[in-house]
Amino acid sequence: MENYNQVLSVLILLTSFMLMANKRIKSYIWTFRLQSALIALTAGIMGVRSVIADGSFDVLVVSIIIIALKVIYIPNLLHKTFSGVEYKVEKDFFLNIPLLILICCGLVVFSYFSVSRVAGSSDGIMNAEVVNSISLVLIGLFFMISRRKAIGQIVGFLVIENGIFITALFSTNGMPFIVDIGVFIDIITAVLIMGIIVFKINEKFDSIDINKLKNLRG
Amino acid sequence: MGFLLWIIPVISVPVFAAVKNRKILHAVSLIVSASMLPVAGFTTAGVLSEKVLEYSVLGGIFYLDALSVIILDIVLVIGFFAAVFSIGYIEEEIKHDKIAAGKVSLYYMLMYIFMFTMVLALSVRNMGVMWIAIEATTLASAFLVGFYNDKQAIEATWKYVIICSVGIAIAMLGIIFLHMSSSGSVGGSQLLNWTALYGNADKLNGPVLRLAFIFILIGFGTKAGLAPMHTWLPDAHSQAPSPISALLSGVLLNSAMYAIIRTVSIVNKNQGSSQFTGRILITAGVLSIITAAIFILTQKDYKRLLAYSSIEHMGIIAVAIGLFTPAAVFGALFHMINHSFTKSMLFLSSGSVLQKYGTREISKIRGLLKALPVTGTALFLGLFAIAGTPPFSVFASEFNIIASVFDGGNFLLGSILAVLLAVIFAGIASVLFRMFWGTDAEASAAVEATAASEVTAAAEGAVVSEGDGTADRYAKPRETNIAGAAVIVTLLAVILVMGFYMPAGLRELLENARQIVIGG
Repeated sequence: MENYNQVLSVLILLTSFMLMANKRIKSYIWTFRLQSALIALTAGIMGVRSVIADGSFDVLVVSIIIIALKVIYIPNLLHKTFSGVEYKVEKDFFLNIPLLILICCGLVVFSYFSVSRVAGSSDGIMNAEVVNSISLVLIGLFFMISRRKAIGQIVGFLVIENGIFITALFSTNGMPFIVDIGVFIDIITAVLIMGIIVFKINEKFDSIDINKLKNLRG
Repeated sequence: MGFLLWIIPVISVPVFAAVKNRKILHAVSLIVSASMLPVAGFTTAGVLSEKVLEYSVLGGIFYLDALSVIILDIVLVIGFFAAVFSIGYIEEEIKHDKIAAGKVSLYYMLMYIFMFTMVLALSVRNMGVMWIAIEATTLASAFLVGFYNDKQAIEATWKYVIICSVGIAIAMLGIIFLHMSSSGSVGGSQLLNWTALYGNADKLNGPVLRLAFIFILIGFGTKAGLAPMHTWLPDAHSQAPSPISALLSGVLLNSAMYAIIRTVSIVNKNQGSSQFTGRILITAGVLSIITAAIFILTQKDYKRLLAYSSIEHMGIIAVAIGLFTPAAVFGALFHMINHSFTKSMLFLSSGSVLQKYGTREISKIRGLLKALPVTGTALFLGLFAIAGTPPFSVFASEFNIIASVFDGGNFLLGSILAVLLAVIFAGIASVLFRMFWGTDAEASAAVEATAASEVTAAAEGAVVSEGDGTADRYAKPRETNIAGAAVIVTLLAVILVMGFYMPAGLRELLENARQIVIGG
């Protein structure tokens, strides 16, 4: 069974590379959907295993919530926000795509070395899956700073959340149930609020280019 | 009884949503925030006699000890003062069409959700739930920061939400590593319980715990305004309505710092020394103080200046927690109280100044002592207090902290701190004190001297003359917000008295809290 986890964690990491290579806001919302679906699958497999092992439904319930929230609801919400504010499609990044991908590779290597130095990758706690998921967090952070549109930043934030969620899943078989539920409520509120602010930014600045947010300095 | 802390604000929110009459809204807000005070008194008394206040219902999630009750009391007291101040402030803003009359109920709803999330963060045993509550504080206060809904406020809100959400997400990663370090040593029902983690601290996995500490410091440090993650703080504090700035600075930063302190005490018990956490915290703290000093010296906006001063004081607290000696931790906790009271007083009075003059720019304000006799005087004394001048209480706690630095033989750090504090004092004095004397004519002369800002000056001038008019300001030197001025004077009296007299109960609480942090 361990191999399934490794394959899935590599696939999830690959979706973050795809995300980095996406040029249009629409396509990276789709990639985010795919990534969340893979995470829901991972959680689903773990959930079924834990139901068989000790009859606890927690992880399975969490995986269903992910499907409802991150595969269906949030991407639809982003689509709606996006179609509400975007007049024309523009280039959305500072650096070219090959360079972005190379930097992402660097991030994966960096997280491999730093994480394995902390606990020793051989002692079973810090395994390859955790390295992959921490890379996902770093790539999410990098995605946020590499895009100029506000929606790109929301997607980056969601990728970070995805990375954190699978880190929890792989390293500790999930957090206590109440914590998981609370985190989901927080995420959905955060995305709703960010969506509203995007509308307001569009209204006040006539664009969702965050480079125009330069009034407050010093 | 302790659950009233959660119940009262939660039931108040639908009431605020239902009521449309402004007078009733203000009255409900006063009743709610005032009714929290006896509950705070009760829980404090409980903690003083029993050391720990906990209930077995809901899986024993409710937990208060001396450390959390100190910060909880700050939240409730400052919350009450902010509620009193809000009444006059909002009425004045409505009169000048800055806030639509229909938005008052939204203001109060968000404010009490914000209060609730902070109370929740301080009164739970589970660190995961604490994380949820601290993340929820960002979400609850987002629209409060952007309440004026203009370009600058929206920009501040966006930065606030994005930077704090990402920061807090990183703290979640830290909480996951904390969880991971405890696998095998903490039982299933006690996962992430602070008491269980602290009790079994020596059995936790050390390297993973150190990783957890770094992520938690970055994450909650973002929220606490430690440099270099502080960039959201001056924007949010300067753009929010002033009662909200007071809550953000006086209360929210403490809640985030509280989460860091809880983690530090687990990590230090596990490591057996404070060397690891100490180095990181002292570096972050000194960096914050340096950043604050630079920006205070070059500041043109008085609300931003106060915000940078908050960064400075959070830096001082971080340094003291990093030292981890009994005297330093005692000083740090005392400093949290003093900073909260002083800074919320300053933000509240800056709100009155902003309403009187209609500008945030220091260079356009002259003759404050004449225009606002009570608030102006209080602001003047409060600036001395926040800069660390005796006899105010900030001096007492800063002195404690610096003395314990020198006690530990850390002369380099001690002298760096002393120099930086002197620079900040000079900065506040040279930048702000010219607001208090002179007349408007001098101010406009000063404005014209800075030719670059001529256009904005004209625009601002139009705004001012639209309001109560320049001549009018001196003809009738009056406070528009009487209750607010009373609140400001009360806070000033508190920080003055605390400068040389500490009630026995408070001393006992601080001692107990110090024992909880350090152990033994």
